[in-house]
This record gives sequence, C-alpha cells and structure tokens, in this order.
Amino acid sequence: MTPSLVVGAPFPDLVLRDHAGSERRLSQLAGDDPVLLQFYRGWWCPKEQAFFRNLVDLQAEAEVAYTRFVSVSVDPPEVQAAFRVGIGARWTFLSDSERVWVDELGLMENADATHRPYLPTVFTLRPDLTIQSVYNGYWFWGRPTNEELRHDFRAISQAIRSDWDPT
Amino acid sequence: MSWAWFDRCGQPAPGVVASAPVWTADGARAGFFCAWDHSAAQPSSTASKIDGRAIDAQGGPGWVSLVLAPPGLFLPFDDPAVAHATRMVLSMPPADIVSTLVEGDDRCRGAFTGERERSGRLAYDPFATLFPAVTLRVGAGFLGHMPAPTGPSTQRYGGGNPWPWDRFGEPT
Repeated sequence: MTPSLVVGAPFPDLVLRDHAGSERRLSQLAGDDPVLLQFYRGWWCPKEQAFFRNLVDLQAEAEVAYTRFVSVSVDPPEVQAAFRVGIGARWTFLSDSERVWVDELGLMENADATHRPYLPTVFTLRPDLTIQSVYNGYWFWGRPTNEELRHDFRAISQAIRSDWDPT
Repeated sequence: MSWAWFDRCGQPAPGVVASAPVWTADGARAGFFCAWDHSAAQPSSTASKIDGRAIDAQGGPGWVSLVLAPPGLFLPFDDPAVAHATRMVLSMPPADIVSTLVEGDDRCRGAFTGERERSGRLAYDPFATLFPAVTLRVGAGFLGHMPAPTGPSTQRYGGGNPWPWDRFGEPT
C-alpha cells in the first residue's frame, strides 16, 4: 500500500466510471457525509461475497444515517452492475477495469496474476476524504466488522456535525 | 445546488426560467412543463419544489416519467411507501434526472424522472406506486442533467429539500 494512505492523510480524489459507465469523482460521491470506501477483488471471490453480505446488512442503517458507501474493483461496469443488483447493494460501484489507480494506490494484489485485482482494503473517510481508519482485508479477519464501522462513523459524525449535541 | 418550482401547465406560463411543450407517448399534446426560480412566490397552487439541476433552459429534448399526486394529496416523506420507492430507485440503473417533488418541507407529491433518450429505464417507475404516473415526451429547453445519487441514503438531511440530493446551500 502506498505509504501515504494512512490515518489522517487525504485519500486521492479518484475519478472512475461507475457501474452505469458514467465518470464519477470520489469527492462528489462523498458530498458532506462520512464514506465507506471499499476495494474488493471481484465478484468471483467467496471472501468478498461474504463481506458484502455484512455491508448489505449495514446499509439498512446507513440509509438513515447520512453515510455513503463506495465499492471499487477491476470488474467492468456491466459486471459490477449485475453483481450489485444480485447482492442487493444500493450504493455506487466504481470500475478501475483499466487499472488506472490500482498501482498508484499501491493496492494491487500481487498474489493473483490471473485477475490482477485490488488488495481487499477498506477505508473510512471524512467528507473531505481524510482517512479515518484503514483495514487490510487480505486475510478475511483483517476486515472491519460492522461494529467497527459503526464506531468509525460515530467518530466522524461527532467530528463533522456541528449539532451532534443539540443541547 | 438549489431548487426550483415545477408545474405542468395547460399553456405557457409567465415568469418561467424554462418551459417546454410535452406530449403523451402516442403524440397527443399534453401541455407544458414550466419551471420558476425558487425565489419566486409559489406560482400556482399545484407547483412543487424540484431539484434545480433537473431544469436547464438550454437542455435538449427527452422523456420523463412524471408521478404527480392529485391536487390536495401528498404523502409524508417518512411514509414507508416513499422510503421503499427511494430504495428501489437506488437499486435500479441510474436515470439522467431524478428528483422527488416536494410541497412545503415534508410532503412528497411525486417524482420527476428523465432520460435524454427513451429507454426501458422509464418503463418501471417505483414512485408510480404512490400516485398516478405518465410518461411524456419533452421538447427542448427544459431538461437538465444531474449525477446519480451515491447511496444508500434514503433520507433528506433538511426539510424542504427534494431527495435524492438532500441538502442545498444558498442558490448559486
């Protein structure tokens, strides 16, 4: 992983096509909310399928909590679109099928020469793309639990919502 | 980002920032889409708030699925049926334009979903489960463009803002 991708550093403002093929910018997707930024190997990986099931469970809370999810892989947009519908995800997927960012971010999983996928990694970001937490998911247990993500989103929300304590 | 007033009128209306004729799918004239700046007083009793980016006086022609409550009817944005429709929109392929239609701060009166080219996207409109829906061809000079929502949020951050883009600053 690129040494600059550490807690407190700004995450690069990625520009990639979304699952519908439209060019999107990460900062635009973040808007004014906390962001879960997930890099995953691809639709074919059983570990990813298991982890996505957790995220799909969490989206029921995120949808009412002003929190945004973005998932990135080297799958082409049409594959992402089908996978996204199949797992019931209602957030934006970004395609780096041309592998524009994977090297720059230092997130190529070198152990898989066939797919040359992203190293499974999860970042939680503040709206200005400052990194709150990093989770290296090469081994499945390195990935964040939904409880850890809730803690991150609570910390970010507490920091950015001026009316966190309305009293 | 800001919002605008929107209504479907029988004839061109005064004071609009954009207006275009509309036709039914079989070619019958179906009035005019009209939009007014948000700073104007509510231009008609049936006008609703719409995301301002849905409107562009320089925009090309296209197609719209218009879901609109009959006069006097609405659903609260917190109604589970509205929340379900927004979830369905996030599940579907993105449209070029999507904005709910808002009355006051918390009343959903329908939705405006647009495409530049007619596609199957408008064949199923989740908001059509709330109120009557009609698919209309729109002339040039009205339709804007907006990014697809990120998801999975279904909530509006502040009252008065149309979903899916949930907060607007001062008009630009």
